[in-house]
Amino acid sequence: MIILLFLIPLSIALAVVFLAAFIWAVRSGQYEDTSPPALRALLEEPNAAKAPRPIVQPPQP
Amino acid sequence: MEWDAPSVDTPRAGAEAACFHCGEPCRDGSHEAAGRAFCCAGCRTVFELLTENGLADFYEFGEVAGVKSQGAPPPGQFHFLDEPAVRRRVTQYTDDRLTRVQFRIPAIHCMACVWLLENLFRLQPGIGSSRVNFARKEVSIGFATAEVRLSEVAALLTSLGYEPDLNLADLDQAGPAPGARRLWLQMGVAGFAFGNIMLFSVSSYFGLDHFSGPHLKKLFGWISLLLSLPVIAYSAADYWRAAWVSLRQRRLTLDVPIALGMAAFLLRSAHAVIFEGADGYFDSLTGLIFFLLCGKWFQQKTFDRLVFDRDYKSFFPLSVTRRTGINEERAALSQLRIGDRIVLRHGELIPADATLADGAALIDYSFVTGESAPVEKQPGDYLYAGGRQVGGAMEILIVKQVSQSYLTSLWNQDAFRKRPRHSFATLTDRYSRRFTASILSIASGAAIYWAWRDPALAVPAFTAVLIVACPCALALAAPFGLGAAQRLLARRGVFLKDASALETLAAAGTIVFDKTGTLSAAGLGEVIFAGEPLTPDERSGLFALAGQSAHPIALAVRRFLKSSHSHGVSQFHEIPGSGIEGRVAGHWLRLGSASWLNLAAPRPGNAHLMIDGHYRGAFALACGVRPEIQPLLQRLARTHELALLSGDNENERERFAQLFPRGSEMRFNQSPLDKLHFIKERQAAGRTVIMVGDGLNDAGALKQSDAGVAVMEHINGFSPASDVILAASALPRLDETLRLARAAVRIVRVSFFISAAYNVVGVAIAARGLLAPVICAILMPLSSASVVAFACAATSLAAWRIAFGRERTAP
Amino acid sequence: MNASASTSENPLSQPAGRGEKAVETFYYDNRIVRAFAIATVIWGIVGMSVGLLAAVELFFPAANLNFQYITFGRIRPLHTNAVIFAFVGNGMFMGIYFSLQRLCKARMFSDFLSWFNFWGWNAIIVAAAITLPLGFTSSKEYAELEWPIDIAIAVVWIGFTINLLATILKRREKHLYVAIWFYIATALTVAVLHVVNSMEIPAGPWKSYSVYAGVQDALVQWWYGHNAVAFFLTTPYLGMMYYFLPKAANRPVFSYRLSIIHFWALIFIYIWAGPHHLLYTALPDWAQSLGMAFSIMLVAPSWGGMLNGLLTLRGAWDKVRQDPVLKFMVGAVTAYGMATLEGPALAIKTVNSLSHYTDWTIAHVHTGALGWNGLLTFSVLYWLFPRLYDTKLWSVKLANYHFWIALLGMMFYVAPMYVSGITAGMMWKQFTADGFLQYPNFLQTVQQIIPFYRLRAIGGSLYIVGTFLMAYNLWRTARAGKFIPEEKAQAASYRTQLAAHEDRAFSHRWLESKPVLFTALSLVAVLIGGMIEIIPMIVVKENVPTIPSVKPYSALELLGRDIYIREGCVGCHSQMIRPFRSETERYGEYSKAGEFVYDHPFLWGSKRTGPDLHRIGGKYPDAWHYNHLDDPRATSPGSIMPRYPWLLTQELDTAPLAARIKALRTVGVPYPDGYETNALAELNQQAAKIVGNLKNGQIKAAPDREIIAVIAYLQRLGTDIKAAPPAAKVAVNN
Repeated sequence: MIILLFLIPLSIALAVVFLAAFIWAVRSGQYEDTSPPALRALLEEPNAAKAPRPIVQPPQP
Repeated sequence: MEWDAPSVDTPRAGAEAACFHCGEPCRDGSHEAAGRAFCCAGCRTVFELLTENGLADFYEFGEVAGVKSQGAPPPGQFHFLDEPAVRRRVTQYTDDRLTRVQFRIPAIHCMACVWLLENLFRLQPGIGSSRVNFARKEVSIGFATAEVRLSEVAALLTSLGYEPDLNLADLDQAGPAPGARRLWLQMGVAGFAFGNIMLFSVSSYFGLDHFSGPHLKKLFGWISLLLSLPVIAYSAADYWRAAWVSLRQRRLTLDVPIALGMAAFLLRSAHAVIFEGADGYFDSLTGLIFFLLCGKWFQQKTFDRLVFDRDYKSFFPLSVTRRTGINEERAALSQLRIGDRIVLRHGELIPADATLADGAALIDYSFVTGESAPVEKQPGDYLYAGGRQVGGAMEILIVKQVSQSYLTSLWNQDAFRKRPRHSFATLTDRYSRRFTASILSIASGAAIYWAWRDPALAVPAFTAVLIVACPCALALAAPFGLGAAQRLLARRGVFLKDASALETLAAAGTIVFDKTGTLSAAGLGEVIFAGEPLTPDERSGLFALAGQSAHPIALAVRRFLKSSHSHGVSQFHEIPGSGIEGRVAGHWLRLGSASWLNLAAPRPGNAHLMIDGHYRGAFALACGVRPEIQPLLQRLARTHELALLSGDNENERERFAQLFPRGSEMRFNQSPLDKLHFIKERQAAGRTVIMVGDGLNDAGALKQSDAGVAVMEHINGFSPASDVILAASALPRLDETLRLARAAVRIVRVSFFISAAYNVVGVAIAARGLLAPVICAILMPLSSASVVAFACAATSLAAWRIAFGRERTAP
Repeated sequence: MNASASTSENPLSQPAGRGEKAVETFYYDNRIVRAFAIATVIWGIVGMSVGLLAAVELFFPAANLNFQYITFGRIRPLHTNAVIFAFVGNGMFMGIYFSLQRLCKARMFSDFLSWFNFWGWNAIIVAAAITLPLGFTSSKEYAELEWPIDIAIAVVWIGFTINLLATILKRREKHLYVAIWFYIATALTVAVLHVVNSMEIPAGPWKSYSVYAGVQDALVQWWYGHNAVAFFLTTPYLGMMYYFLPKAANRPVFSYRLSIIHFWALIFIYIWAGPHHLLYTALPDWAQSLGMAFSIMLVAPSWGGMLNGLLTLRGAWDKVRQDPVLKFMVGAVTAYGMATLEGPALAIKTVNSLSHYTDWTIAHVHTGALGWNGLLTFSVLYWLFPRLYDTKLWSVKLANYHFWIALLGMMFYVAPMYVSGITAGMMWKQFTADGFLQYPNFLQTVQQIIPFYRLRAIGGSLYIVGTFLMAYNLWRTARAGKFIPEEKAQAASYRTQLAAHEDRAFSHRWLESKPVLFTALSLVAVLIGGMIEIIPMIVVKENVPTIPSVKPYSALELLGRDIYIREGCVGCHSQMIRPFRSETERYGEYSKAGEFVYDHPFLWGSKRTGPDLHRIGGKYPDAWHYNHLDDPRATSPGSIMPRYPWLLTQELDTAPLAARIKALRTVGVPYPDGYETNALAELNQQAAKIVGNLKNGQIKAAPDREIIAVIAYLQRLGTDIKAAPPAAKVAVNN
């Protein structure tokens, strides 16, 4: 099972890359306010294709 | 296509058409635009503004998305924002090209607001990006400094109905507490390492041995070691630092055992990996840290929720008289706006920084600066909040927003702090030192025992004991339990200075009452004037003079005279406990007690009037005793010794004799000094004395008593000497307040007992090595959070039961 | 093709905040989205049709018309590659290119890279459609394509990754929505997986040998195999779910915080799965248990995603009744929930001992593929076409019909497979009272499950009919509307209003400058280069056999093995006997790890439509093999194995023998030096011996036919271990 000597460090390296991405995300304030992003993704440009507007009940902040 | 939601442009029917913008009923229907009904010009202008700039989609978001707007703000409202000083404080960043500002807008309530506030650049080209932080109801706007002025941005927001809340005082709260973000990072790192190390150790649980993977056991050991390094260095950094600080100060706090436990674990595992080639305990070490951090996060969340409504002081009962045009109206502090005109009488507090408009101002800054010499001020001077007016009435113009927190800090100054003899605070200090020392000894004892009996268990047992013990319930139960009681009492009109005041109320033995203003309310009885009838200008003169003072008798006389126009009053002078005098329209008027005016044959009455040296008559105030005082006193008599001290004359004695139970002490014609001596005498006899007074003229007695309770009508006076401020409406339920205080203290003792029991049982099991350190790491935060939650819940339950009890037995 | 009329200014080239106007106008690129959408529909139909042909051939072998290029062995990998990389691949790119631009409020970073990604990816698919039927395959499941195409895939994928990351860097919306994180994870991880699993030494223009051998190759293959499913079929589609489901339902996602936790929990430890494809095989026991423990842990994040998706619809369920897009979306998310619960169940060793190598695995795969990937792609297409062409969907009724037909198709596919899987699994293990196998002849189980293969074919055809309906519906929608190539949009760049002092707060700026980008790229190149050197060095050391009697294949057997790989026999026959009494009774001694040290690539297989072949060596005479391969039904009536007449007629190509031996020696097979020179003589000698055996079996065959090499290989399978006793004696005294 020698291949694990290569596979495991490689997997950890990949996982560490994602850990670094996590640290950058938290530090750059991606998760400061978690309710508007879900709304902002829905908002369309005013002159976009005439799709019905989202009818939304006020989200809990 | 049928699945397309019906478009929103069909005008809404309804008996009274609802406003298309904000949904409020349009009464007169005079405002029309593009076939839509609006309730006011403000909403119509907002509608036109939006449709012209291509933002009509706003109305398709929700049924009623708009916010009722008062239309364009008065031109000058936001000019002060453009002053460099204010501008620097409001904006977060500014240079010649770009300015970023963050406004708090309470009116944000739905997605339409988010959408509209993020499309501001369509309304005002100078504005760049605007982002809404929905949780904190804030919008941060970046705009080109050259093209747009800060006041224009604020005016635009207000015209849309989203008026920014410009509370300059608490403006400099930074972004989210950096600690919260740091905790997230630490938890992320710990979770990452714990997850991956666990996967390595799973393989050795399932039989990875030298045969099936020659080098792998060593490889997994080393990888576990490497992965746990960031956890120990970064995630557990706070624990190491706290432990180091407390060691340096030779004060054993809770962090020392935790740090010690982790260090033991780390050394043992590192030794196993480096020398023995095994894969050590890194999975439970990182798991331990991960769960400790989760516990800390959970604790923080629960305490934030409990503490959330702690600033009960924000609806501080203080109110002021605001002059609008010619008449005066009573206004609560929170309604004060910059530019309001306030009337301050003798003894009233300046609520916020202001400039003197007119009237002679003699300001006593005793409890702001400490020295009591009053300071002379001319009209136009700048007055600091916290000063007290001495002498006649004056009018001031508010310049700065009222800051509740500043006023309450005045109240909590050390000059007025009283140290109750046996409070919980001293208790927790004494125990926590001994607690940590005993835990360390038990842990090392267990370690030695197991090192001899079964070495493998030595380190886990040692760490488990250190981790599982948790004195935080001792440190937290008191503040949070009593804090909860404070909040509940605040909702019932009883405001406590701090938790120790509650403890004193619980231990009260003797209750001393003051008569005027406390048991009897000035406003209740009607006033009879015995003497020569007064001419109209004499009446208005006396009306003006009485207007200078806030004394209950003066208020009653003013209500009796009911004259409309007012004269200027000069050389006004008020002597506490005696009377007031001053020169009005050329006459020298004096109103006060008979002894002060040294009258030979005073008519029956409480206040005597002398104009230019002639005794003209006396005002007799029928003593209006507050309702339900009688049943209150009966209930209190069962548990407390009662006493009445009054500055007035004897003629009310037999009336109060029926109210008070037999044998309770009743003394009249008491000067503030006599009251002080009586309280000292009772305290010397070992009783815990509570003084209930109106806080104005018996400040000394209130200060001397163990707990001074100031009964306030809609007060404008404010006496820092009192520990408790009791709204007049809450006086009849004073006994309930005392019962709740006793219940709260009992609950805190019970939670001490629970915490002690948890620690004893936990340490015992841990010492016998049955508890894995990871499980201890979960138990420890859970225990402290549960004890605190228990204390708060039990207190609110007690309060509910007491209140419920009252309804059941209500007469 | 990529005329970009847009102002796709490239902020990387100019320092930000240089007095730009606060608000910028830019255009979304819809052309690339339409291109991928059309490719998705086309490749969807092609992939499913090939799948249907394979399904028919399973109960009606003559369907291959004896034409070697459409025989089951060769079109099964074509079906898997077409459906995964062509249909789901193009679908994923369609979703990413549409949603990424809207979420970042920015046009794709470079139109050239976008079109390079489109034409490159589809060229690769065409190349696969040509090479696989020709038999050029590496035999490693879902990575069958030969080495030149592997390189092309790597290049195109890295191009896509650069385009994705650069667009994110120049975004105008500060917050990275959770879907973007899923796309980033997909791009990064698939790159690493593909590179590691494509480590092969070329032995000819279309032939290569995997660097790893036997057990190592198995572990790397299934480390790639599971994660290809994870990071190619799941994470991008989860990203698309988090974007398109809220859009279609007009409702914000149920809990955005849950989606953040879901993503990071999934990503931190997702890369570990794999060994659960090798339970009870020659893999060490602890590795199998690790795979099992890990797969069970996977339920939590997967179901977190499903619940987050479904609960987004609370309060909007009445719309699901009439809206086909929501119907497909709900169907997809539910199928995802079922598949991700069934997967961990199948990963439990006891369940796996029954389900492995049976049709149950196929049912699990198609619940995920037809349900999750298929239905979600259809819902995105139905939602997207009306937007691209600024019109309404041509016929909602037709779309609803498609949904019910697709659901019916899934039922008719998956249910029969469950029944046939469990039937076969039980029958293989059945013992009579006195300890003998109840069904010793493998064909007895095959006969039993043929009816279910017929039902499955019906299910498959229903599903394709649905897809045809969709294609027609979308075509009419496109014709009815007017395509919007460039969609105008306005947004303030959050970079310009990023105040200077904030820059210092999080030093994001240096990350975007050009030099950093190139150092990152060179780092990746170094990483790949380094791996190419390190791995062979590590792997070669391992090839010392724990079983001394195991020897490398002879030249003839090697060519026979390559033909075995070419014909895709591994698609129906496994070479891994598990340590169960039912299998040792039926096939012989269970397979040991040491026997596979010279197998480049490993041929353990993952499905037993036909019996296990690892101990076939010497079980039947050469003549039997000759007749059986010519016409399986002649020697074993009722068999559904296709005929291989061309093996008897085609001449064995011995030209590349030298190159192949040299390549194998580099990956660690200890052929003696100079073996290539006399290899041909040894080959002819062994061939003559086999022709001799065939002659006394009344069969006249020429020694230079491919059938001879195949027979040589089949007769060698699993015989090394039997030869152990004499060799063991020899080994003892030297």
